[in-house]
Amino acid sequence: MRCSLFVCLIIGALFSYGAGVDPSNFKTCEQSSFCRRSRKVQSSGSKYALIRGTLNTYSDSLTADLINKENHHQFTLKLEALVGNTFRLQIDEKQPLRPRYRVEHALKGKPETTRISVQESDELTITAGTSKAVIHGDPFRIDFYEHDVHVVSVNAKNWLYFEHLRQKAQTPPEPAEGNDQAHQQQDHQDNSEEVQPASEPIDDPGAWEENFKSHHDSKPYGPQAVALDFSFPAAEILFGIPEHADSFQLKSTSGTDPYRLYNLDVFEYVVDSKMALYGSVPVLYAHGPKRTAGVYWQNAAETWVDIYTTETNVVSSLVNFVSGSRKSTPPVAHFISESGIVDAFIMLGPQPLDAFKQYAALTGTHELPQAFALAYHQCRWNYNDERDVTSVSAKFDEFNMPMDTMWLDIEYTDGKRYFTWDKFKFPEPLTMIKNLTELGRHLVIIIDPHIKRDNAYFFHQDCTENGYYVKTREGNDYEGWCWPGSASYPDFFNPVVRDYYASQYDLSKFKTVSKDVMIWNDMNEPSVFNGPEVTAPKDLVHYGNWEHRDVHNLYGHMHLMGTFAGLKQRDPQQRPFILTRAHFAGSQRYAAIWTGDNLADWTHLQHSIKMCLTEAVAGFSFCGADVGGFFGNPDSELLERWYQTGAFLPFFRAHAHIDTKRREPWLFPERTRAIIKSALLTRYSYLPLWYTSFYELEQTGAPVIRPLLTHYPADKEAFAIDSQLLVQHRLLVRPVMQQGVSKVDVYFPAIDDKKNGDYWYDVDTFQRHERAGYESIPVTDDKIPVFQRGGSIVPKKERQRRSSKLMLNDPYTLVICLDRQGKAAGTLFLDDEKSYAYRNGESIYVNYEFANNQLTNRFITKPLYKSDAWIERIIIAGLGYVPIDATITAKGISQKLEIEQRSNGAIVVRKPAVKMNVDFALKLNAA
Amino acid sequence: MQQKCLQLLLLALFVYALTGVQGIDVPRPRGVSLVKAPLYQPQPDGKWNCIDGSKTIPFTQINDDYCDCADGSDEPGTAACSKGQFHCLNTGHQSVDIPSSQVQDGICDCCDGSDELEESQCENTCLALGAAAAIQRRNEAELHMKGAEKRQEMINRGKQLKADRSARRSELNARIKEQELLKTEKEHLKATAEALESEAVEAFKEQQRELDAVTAQAEQEPQQMRQEASLTFVRYDTNKDGFVEITELMVDMNLDRDRNGVVTVEEAKYFLDERDRMDLDAFITLAWPRIKPLKMLADGLFQPPVPTPAEERAPQQDNTKEAEQLDPEPTGEHADMDVPDEEDGEDEEQYDDEEPDVGVGEATPDVETTTAAPIYDPETQRLIEQANEARNAYEEVARQIREIEHEIKELDEQEGKDYGPNEEWSVLDGECYTFEDREYVYTLCPFDRVSQKPRNGGAETTLGRWDQWVGEGANKYSKQKYAQGAACWNGPQRSAIINIKCALEPRITSVSEPNRCEYYYEFETPAACDRDAYTASAQSQHDEL
Repeated sequence: MRCSLFVCLIIGALFSYGAGVDPSNFKTCEQSSFCRRSRKVQSSGSKYALIRGTLNTYSDSLTADLINKENHHQFTLKLEALVGNTFRLQIDEKQPLRPRYRVEHALKGKPETTRISVQESDELTITAGTSKAVIHGDPFRIDFYEHDVHVVSVNAKNWLYFEHLRQKAQTPPEPAEGNDQAHQQQDHQDNSEEVQPASEPIDDPGAWEENFKSHHDSKPYGPQAVALDFSFPAAEILFGIPEHADSFQLKSTSGTDPYRLYNLDVFEYVVDSKMALYGSVPVLYAHGPKRTAGVYWQNAAETWVDIYTTETNVVSSLVNFVSGSRKSTPPVAHFISESGIVDAFIMLGPQPLDAFKQYAALTGTHELPQAFALAYHQCRWNYNDERDVTSVSAKFDEFNMPMDTMWLDIEYTDGKRYFTWDKFKFPEPLTMIKNLTELGRHLVIIIDPHIKRDNAYFFHQDCTENGYYVKTREGNDYEGWCWPGSASYPDFFNPVVRDYYASQYDLSKFKTVSKDVMIWNDMNEPSVFNGPEVTAPKDLVHYGNWEHRDVHNLYGHMHLMGTFAGLKQRDPQQRPFILTRAHFAGSQRYAAIWTGDNLADWTHLQHSIKMCLTEAVAGFSFCGADVGGFFGNPDSELLERWYQTGAFLPFFRAHAHIDTKRREPWLFPERTRAIIKSALLTRYSYLPLWYTSFYELEQTGAPVIRPLLTHYPADKEAFAIDSQLLVQHRLLVRPVMQQGVSKVDVYFPAIDDKKNGDYWYDVDTFQRHERAGYESIPVTDDKIPVFQRGGSIVPKKERQRRSSKLMLNDPYTLVICLDRQGKAAGTLFLDDEKSYAYRNGESIYVNYEFANNQLTNRFITKPLYKSDAWIERIIIAGLGYVPIDATITAKGISQKLEIEQRSNGAIVVRKPAVKMNVDFALKLNAA
Repeated sequence: MQQKCLQLLLLALFVYALTGVQGIDVPRPRGVSLVKAPLYQPQPDGKWNCIDGSKTIPFTQINDDYCDCADGSDEPGTAACSKGQFHCLNTGHQSVDIPSSQVQDGICDCCDGSDELEESQCENTCLALGAAAAIQRRNEAELHMKGAEKRQEMINRGKQLKADRSARRSELNARIKEQELLKTEKEHLKATAEALESEAVEAFKEQQRELDAVTAQAEQEPQQMRQEASLTFVRYDTNKDGFVEITELMVDMNLDRDRNGVVTVEEAKYFLDERDRMDLDAFITLAWPRIKPLKMLADGLFQPPVPTPAEERAPQQDNTKEAEQLDPEPTGEHADMDVPDEEDGEDEEQYDDEEPDVGVGEATPDVETTTAAPIYDPETQRLIEQANEARNAYEEVARQIREIEHEIKELDEQEGKDYGPNEEWSVLDGECYTFEDREYVYTLCPFDRVSQKPRNGGAETTLGRWDQWVGEGANKYSKQKYAQGAACWNGPQRSAIINIKCALEPRITSVSEPNRCEYYYEFETPAACDRDAYTASAQSQHDEL
């Protein structure tokens, strides 16, 4: 209570505890001039046309000029074909008054292009492989086809809206260029909008300056919004554009605010909301039974997205089915950004996983994390001192519960000066760290981007002397308030600043940590307590003379780039682990995310799944929510359910606010303790599956956790389900996220339209579920429904250890669940779980295949990693008989193995004892 | 071939495990204690039953690195069974059971290193640890021995105190009876004198009606005085605990009798009738008469005639009700938190709501100078003086009774406290101990209260008042709880747990706040040096070995 009583007082005075965010602190579309202006085009439409004779074709792209027929301003269009059914559309002013910002660093590299062929008739038809784009000249529109199925249209609604840069009109107002006769009336509410062309922003009182609450935005460059509509004729639902505390399926914004993408530190956010949160990933997918497509709107400025869908329900889909007709209008997404250019990637699928991989091919994936990062993390604001850290770690051992990582929040620092320690509370950090690492554990400490303005603080001195801080319009160092009090913000867009920042992680400079200490980057939206909407003013100036307005959503991303570089330079052998709150497209290459400051409440537990599913398809598989809820005190039941749920999200960390009661597992009654321990052990037992999934994410871009539609794209009933998730295509998890229930409805998805489904085996009992559709599954305190798909093989490690590192050489269990044909297959990846040696082939990547009563392995790559691990048991479910024994043959030697029986007809092959890098065949012997 | 090798290796391990274990002559599988050795005997057919009887397996499958038994009993020496236990013999030190999860994980958990395979090269540290433990036990025993002597003194003194209290209680009972009698008598005398006086005054009044108001005012005076005293009490009692304490008086420079710029403890104590603290009644009777003249002096010298808010309001006045300290202009964003240093508890005061103006300064207009006493004729004056004397005599008796009652109340309170089976804790009541960390001075006044005060000045916050002993079972007297401390903003009332250990000198060794507003003190005192209890627990520990 002592550390930040004052902050608590103030925050508490502003927001009553538990009541949630005050939405009036954040802008609505109507309060945001560019959103208000751009949205008007939806009623009036715009008139853009291709200028004949300006077409240039190249091997992989074409360019042409566009004209706004209302004001005759000219634009340049570029359409490029990329490898993997993807087009890139860029539209910029032909001759802008000053350059318009183009996003950098979000793509993982320059996208690989592919050859096109162009046919010119009334339309331009651009063909690339199986996909093609058809450009209509007037009105301007592009239709995209995949295998001749029309899946995406650009500007079908004529909502393209591009505010060209202009000189500010003087008073008395001069006629603007072109046919624009509008007058600038800043303090006058415009009543004549009906007669003005919607494409002219100049009437809007916020066009050249804007106020929100007590904050003024000087807007020296005036209106410069860009907006474009995308229609999806083959789709029924839209999803994506995290981060919002909302359902997986995007809701229509007709009559509400659009979804907002603007990285903000929202205090006590509420669920079921389209408000902006900490991260912005402007990728959206459109899905129908036959086709999936996506759009990545590459723009780092504040962005609003309007969604128009006919909300599907059973009746309407039935009507459509009976009538055989398409329903009224295809879903539409209208992206509206404050500045920058149109830079859209149109990904044509055709299947969900294809689209996800196409996006991953553009922006990258998280690299294979160290195994510990996938294990359990124990965090709290704050573990008070060294003794606290040591004793919490020891308590996990005392209660024989596994735990991998202890976290330190801001209070470990000397007065919120990052790269320093509070010498009283943490006099011997290296000893403390060593005590953890000796048990195979890790420490993660927080490093935030706000820098305390203290002349005695080296980081501040360096930034001040070298001009490393983000600047105000006037060219001074910007000062805001954050945890340290008065703070400034390094301009991570400047490569020199990033290098400086990265170099601080060097152990020769940051001597009080070891190379095993990993990093948590919080507050990097950036959070500015006294800034507009708790962030930085838009008219700040960054490296390259770009306004903060242009780059806001990338600030956290640039911070991460610095941290990632720093950790890699510190120890090139070790894969960095970083957790971030702010994120943009591509940030997944550097960091895991969590869903920010949630609440100990059942609805927030439910949203942890919805939010992470959306993040996962938007590149962020490495996602989790604070287990237990950050604010407030969870009761035993909520905490138990949260651990059980969190155990099946990729990032698994308990965290709590400084004002909450302690909630380490042993502080709860025996029953709760046992349930939490069981959830932890479940997580640890599946670590080989998580680890393999992340390897395959890095290899293919396929998300680790997936919505049902990923593998059941034709099952309309599965489209909107966001209370269940798939782990790869192996597990189906339906956490219990309601209070006091004794059963939950689980939806088993259909693989065709005849309600045929996969087999699903309960992982606890091996009970088999054979029918698609909803089924009521009984649950108890210590059970949540988790099923393994018939046809899959899941690698596990069923031995308990203190931490994942100590499991490295422990033996594996293979769980084989058979499909209707008595077959199954599944991969396993293993390596040293820490270094980059796997990139030189020092790994074992193996596919296990079961068919005809025989299990074999096939090494996908040469098994060069030396592992002491071995297979201790093989569980087979769905066999339908009990073999008398099994014969394993490896290296020409055969040996008999015992068979044990488990519940529901599952059998266990006892102790094959074969090493992981050895070829073998294991045959079941029937009586 | 590799598989074969592995099995050979495991077989070798098993043989090693089964036989030459740690030089003790009872053959038993690795990880099994001597006590449990009989449970690990093969049946004549070479089979063996899991200890829970759930399964029969070949004896050779014990410790074969595969978990066969549901209870984990077949793998005492490997990590194969999650529910298993490994027995570290730890010759030379204490034997312990560790969970199977810690076997062969590369970390030496047993001091004899038996939980890891040889290649882990665990050192055997049992002898050194055993020796160190023996020394520690000896030291502890010695400490308890020496401490027990001190404790005996405390017991003696505690018993003496109890007897004293009892005697004093009887004495006070007798005295209060006497005083009650005396009071009746004085009341009678007063009534008589007042009757005479009032008769004379009435007569006088008939001549001088204009003095009526004045007389009336004079009658109000005791009432007024009580009110003034109460208001002053409230102002002094900054921590709102219903007592005025020395520290609370020390902030009032009016009480600096020797004008040296500091109100010393002694000075403050003088006003509290040489006590550490006083409740309201005692304050009115005992302290106010001493304080009031100084207040009046101060007012007379330094106050302008027009009443104004008291200037001497100490900046430290902090009523700790943080809810009242909020910025009166909440603005709805983090934005306006222009806070120089949120860590600094002192900042709370900046937000201290100005209290209503009930200051001492203006509330005591100078009665004597503004109210001219009427001049009576000599006879009336004589009767008035006689009545005054009677009143004073009566008041004096009444005051004495109040004082006795107050003391009785205190004695009864003490009698109600649990000073332990032998009164050994009694002498701690009335003592106070402090502990300083970087930011705060923590105080523990056993059986009374615990508090926290910023080192760099600022108000003291009560963390709790004496509640009860909360040690578990036989260790009831190892933990105290103090509850009902000042409320945290938007949170619970503060409370504190005091963990008590034996030591020769009383002191607080550490204070922490693991949960918001829940404090933990580590406190040492000879009163906890119970030799018999220590010997008993040491004995039982030894038996376990």
